[in-house]
Amino acid sequence: MVIENENKEIEQLIRDLAGKLLEEKQVDVIIGYTEGTVPLSSSPIVIDKAEDVDKLIWNNLCYINLAKYLVPRIPTLMNEEGQKLKVGIVSKGCVGRALIHLSVEHQLDLESIKIIGIPCNGIINRKKIEDEIGEREIFDISVSGDNIIVKGRDFEKVFPFNEYMNELCKVCQVKSPPFLEDICVGECLENPVIEDDFSDIAEFDSKTTEEKWEYIKSLLETCTRCYACREACPMCYCNLCFVDQNQPVWFGKTTGYSDIFVFHLVRAMHMAGRCVGCGACSSACPMGIDLNLINRSLEKIAKERFNFTTGIDPRSLPPMMAYDIEDKEEFMMEED
Amino acid sequence: MEYKILKKDQIIKLYNDLTKDYNFFAPIKEKRNIVFRKITNPEEIVLDYLNSKVPPKEILFPEKDILFEYKINDNEIELEEPKNLNEQNIIFGIRPCDAHSFVLLVNFFSQGDFKDEIIINRRKNTILIGIGCNTPKSTCFCTSVEGNPFQKDYMDVFLVDLQNEYLVEGISDKGKDLIKKLSWLADAKEMDIEKAQELKKQAEESITTKLDLKDIDKILDPNFDHPIWKEVSETCIGCGTCSFLCPTCTCFDVIDENVPNKNRGRRIRIWDTCQSCLYTLHTSGHNPRNSCIQRVRNRILHKFCYYPENYGMLGCVGCGRCVQLCPVNNDLRTIIEKIKKIEPKREEKVSA
Ligand code: SF4
Ligand code: SF4
Ligand code: SF4
Ligand code: SF4
Repeated sequence: MVIENENKEIEQLIRDLAGKLLEEKQVDVIIGYTEGTVPLSSSPIVIDKAEDVDKLIWNNLCYINLAKYLVPRIPTLMNEEGQKLKVGIVSKGCVGRALIHLSVEHQLDLESIKIIGIPCNGIINRKKIEDEIGEREIFDISVSGDNIIVKGRDFEKVFPFNEYMNELCKVCQVKSPPFLEDICVGECLENPVIEDDFSDIAEFDSKTTEEKWEYIKSLLETCTRCYACREACPMCYCNLCFVDQNQPVWFGKTTGYSDIFVFHLVRAMHMAGRCVGCGACSSACPMGIDLNLINRSLEKIAKERFNFTTGIDPRSLPPMMAYDIEDKEEFMMEED
Repeated sequence: MEYKILKKDQIIKLYNDLTKDYNFFAPIKEKRNIVFRKITNPEEIVLDYLNSKVPPKEILFPEKDILFEYKINDNEIELEEPKNLNEQNIIFGIRPCDAHSFVLLVNFFSQGDFKDEIIINRRKNTILIGIGCNTPKSTCFCTSVEGNPFQKDYMDVFLVDLQNEYLVEGISDKGKDLIKKLSWLADAKEMDIEKAQELKKQAEESITTKLDLKDIDKILDPNFDHPIWKEVSETCIGCGTCSFLCPTCTCFDVIDENVPNKNRGRRIRIWDTCQSCLYTLHTSGHNPRNSCIQRVRNRILHKFCYYPENYGMLGCVGCGRCVQLCPVNNDLRTIIEKIKKIEPKREEKVSA
């Protein structure tokens, strides 16, 4: 099916389910996406009335991971009396995975939410499109057939969607959220089986340590340390991030190279076996830094060492928080 | 008034002439972004950019600014003041909104008893060779904040892109002197000046974002507790992009770095943002701005209420960066429209 028809169907699915959940008072509010006010954007929205469901949209620019709105770092949605609201949340695959893993880490009670599952068809790589367009303003972006059409003052450009999708979406195998009895409505995946050969990062993996270092160094050079990546990430929920510790200060805070590197390195370590590959961090970065290769490498390590894929099974034990005598440890122990 | 012409291929000559006496900063493309850098290769200069990702405020107010370094020898403390404060700079190709922001920056850092000599000096030693915006973006609203795409008042020299060449106009005395030194610049013709005026008109007409900001502080002042703040902060994730990359935001943090056992260290100023939860966190653990509601409100009030009240000017230059870059599209223009719709409070009844 062509993408714009898929989008229409997904959008209808969202509106129908959201309306039903609100009307039947199964939830108090729905968190979803709405149209953005600038091209290449979309905006999260919270609605509480069934008549507002038409504000909910789906398109290939719904890049924010909505699970972020349910973590402790963001104030809990409450009613006037201070009671927690029951939330319905529009969930593409990676939003569902984030919700499940948040529950695994005891940050979220799945019973208190409804997951509106949708079959995500991929997110547009905004940065790559902007790179191609250069210093010209984009007025409009739309999807037609299998293509992305970008229009500006005196240009119109066509990009194949398959190629200009986020790198993480290209390899995503969990496009709908994993199914959970009584919690999921809509389209969900029953017992997803993940078979990932990580061929997308094979080239990066084959590089020498020096080459990888050069890549990461050049990647992070422009980081301003605004922490938008962290704030967009559903897994970065700590109320006091390691890098914000100031009594005493744990890490250097400047944009000097070593300080930037330590921030990203430690954040990456905290993401191992936790990142759900949603790409929200890279989408949010104002400097266009693409953290995908780091995230995919983490996913690969978790899969290879612990046969673990994040956010699939709410009964799983997160590998970095569980001890097993059989755990491989050669990567911690220097052999020679 | 004297107008000159700079051919596009003469930028290299201009650079070569000026770089002897000045640090020459200009917009270049670094990775994915247009940023201002002290350049060494004039071929890298990009002048037909829309607006830079990082505002040129980073030249006056760098992300990482070493305030001083110190050494302890026996019982003597040896302070080393920042170098290059007296070096002369040129910022080439700065846009009118960003030049406008320099007025705000200097004003802010010159208040009261604690003048920031570092930033004030840098500004004093910096010449702005700005350029008009022939094609403003749909998110630009300089005309709503006392600016316009060809505003030259804050520049020393002003350029207009006439397609094959630039019209050059000296604005300040410094700028006029500079042009005199560049004696090889050709004289402009009447036609060129007319063309520049036509471009100015076109540019102004092409601004689509118009905000009515008159007396907005009067609306904001009594509405600190209005429900609107919850509404406009509901989806904010507190990422700070809107303030980090805002040309008028001035918040900073000061940190000390000490080299243990080496008796030396340095004090560094880094950017900070009122959108970060750490910004107002007290030592006690109490945080007076503990949620996005208070933080988003602070950003808006600071720019559109406290700035007019304290300095008699708006704290925004209409560059549109925050509008373009907010990852959740919390559009400043929409926020302003909502504020304008706040019903004026009825006179509180005085009860006896
Ligand atoms: S969002 Fe980008 S610029 Fe900001 S801290 Fe993260 S990587 Fe650095
Ligand atoms: S690190 Fe990035 S890709 Fe991974 S869960 Fe966080 S936002 Fe998503
Ligand atoms: S508030 Fe937004 S539009 Fe105004 S100067 Fe700052 S970044 Fe530009
Ligand atoms: S850029 Fe947007 S999400 Fe980030 S702090 Fe500003 S308003 Fe909030």
